[in-house]
Amino acid sequence: MTGAGTAIWGVGTSAFGKQTSLGGPRLAWQATVEALDDAGLQASDIDAVYAGTVFGDPGTVTRCLQQIGIVEVPVITIENACASGTSAFHEARESVEIGRYERVLAFGIETMTAHFDGAISPIASDPDGAQGYAMPSIYGMSATRYKYEFGVTDEQMAEVAVKNRRHAMGNPRAQHHKTVTVEQVLGSRMVADPITLFQCCSIADAAAAAVIGPLGGSRDPRGEVTIRSSALRSGRLWDHTTDKVWGWDIVADTAAQAYEAAGVSVEDINVFEVHDAFTIGEIITTEALGICELGEGGRLVESGHTSLGGLQPVNPSGGLLSRGHPLGATGLAQIAEIAWQLRGMAADRQVPGARLGAVETMGGGTAGIDGNACVVTVLEQVG
Amino acid sequence: MPSLITTPPERAGADPRPELAIHEGRVLLTGSRCGDCGYPQAVNPPRCPICGSHGMVPATFGPKGTVFSSTVLRIPVPDRTPPFTLAYVDVDEGPRILAHVDGPDEALVPGSEVVLSGWSEHGDPVVRRSGP
Repeated sequence: MTGAGTAIWGVGTSAFGKQTSLGGPRLAWQATVEALDDAGLQASDIDAVYAGTVFGDPGTVTRCLQQIGIVEVPVITIENACASGTSAFHEARESVEIGRYERVLAFGIETMTAHFDGAISPIASDPDGAQGYAMPSIYGMSATRYKYEFGVTDEQMAEVAVKNRRHAMGNPRAQHHKTVTVEQVLGSRMVADPITLFQCCSIADAAAAAVIGPLGGSRDPRGEVTIRSSALRSGRLWDHTTDKVWGWDIVADTAAQAYEAAGVSVEDINVFEVHDAFTIGEIITTEALGICELGEGGRLVESGHTSLGGLQPVNPSGGLLSRGHPLGATGLAQIAEIAWQLRGMAADRQVPGARLGAVETMGGGTAGIDGNACVVTVLEQVG
Repeated sequence: MPSLITTPPERAGADPRPELAIHEGRVLLTGSRCGDCGYPQAVNPPRCPICGSHGMVPATFGPKGTVFSSTVLRIPVPDRTPPFTLAYVDVDEGPRILAHVDGPDEALVPGSEVVLSGWSEHGDPVVRRSGP
């Protein structure tokens, strides 16, 4: 099998939340067994594992998977910041596409409450991190710039949290199941001006998984979701030559590559899961994905275009703002959500008739570059 | 921003932060400029990341700069007491760096003019507002 296409055969996730007492292996078992069952496979059918985790101890992935029988195979762990899970997905897909393996587990896990009480600590070896530059500050910088350059309002940013928390009411696996109002979002504690607490994703413990194999090769090909394309890249230098906020170009460049490889344009896509670690992040990302023009992201969310019931819903799962953001697990939870959407299994948050979906994840934390990694993948239900 | 230090602090060799130095009474950013394409950086690597030239030449930049964006971080981070104000500054004719801001706990408006001023008590580069 070379180049004839790849598909998602099955997906699974744990619940998302602060669940320190469960520990990594039990979260992993929930996600992986669900994905294997969904694919109709045994653990012994898996040829290789590509996994994403960021803060995990050495050996995290093998420690999580051995007791459910995933042994004697190559296990490759990838760290790509927030995009670690989708980077694992990208490599898993590529390994099937080129014929290196046939049935591959893409897996992601993070047990963040074991490492942090609140925000992720700045990275001391980084030029910005060494100055105490925690992740919310970079999005605070983007929000300040967007207010100045494009007149994005605090209310428009808050509307992202309102929408995604509303969407999560239909997602039993999300961490937050309570709607919020614009007033509540803006009235919550200031974290990094002008970003308030309810505009920041929570930390979480969770795992997520997908089984990937040749298109048409699973036990029930009608349940497969075709991977039309997947693109992965690091950012350009982010320096004095650009007026774009951090992370804009990397998403635009990766999306352009993914759309071209899939032979689709953004208008064709029915549903998106995107990286809304902070509200302004979704506004920037919807622009960079081409759903609207540069500077129009605030008005886009206000218009309802990206709400459930709108023309192109974004984050029907409730996104990172509702699930929380266990870095390694996030990307594969996004993949699982789009797979469920395309198979008509998303219950109260279903986008009616969704046939084409896209996932975007972007990871940062390195000074001077427009993102450590971004993955955009285009998925299609053809059955 | 509790205190501004105007004499260079001791600096560990692996300190990744932008390095300031005092030249003729002015605080300047140290780094390099490509001798071929002119690209400036706050570090001095062996090759230019833009044109690939081996001709990176040590250089200083500033002391003036312009704010690209700014925020006030109000959550605790290890070794520092919130709130503190941060800005990305495009140093005149030089690179963009992150710096702490000496002044009230208010984000600076993008486009504000600033000047390199010294170091924080933690050895972070510090700027202060110098004009409109």
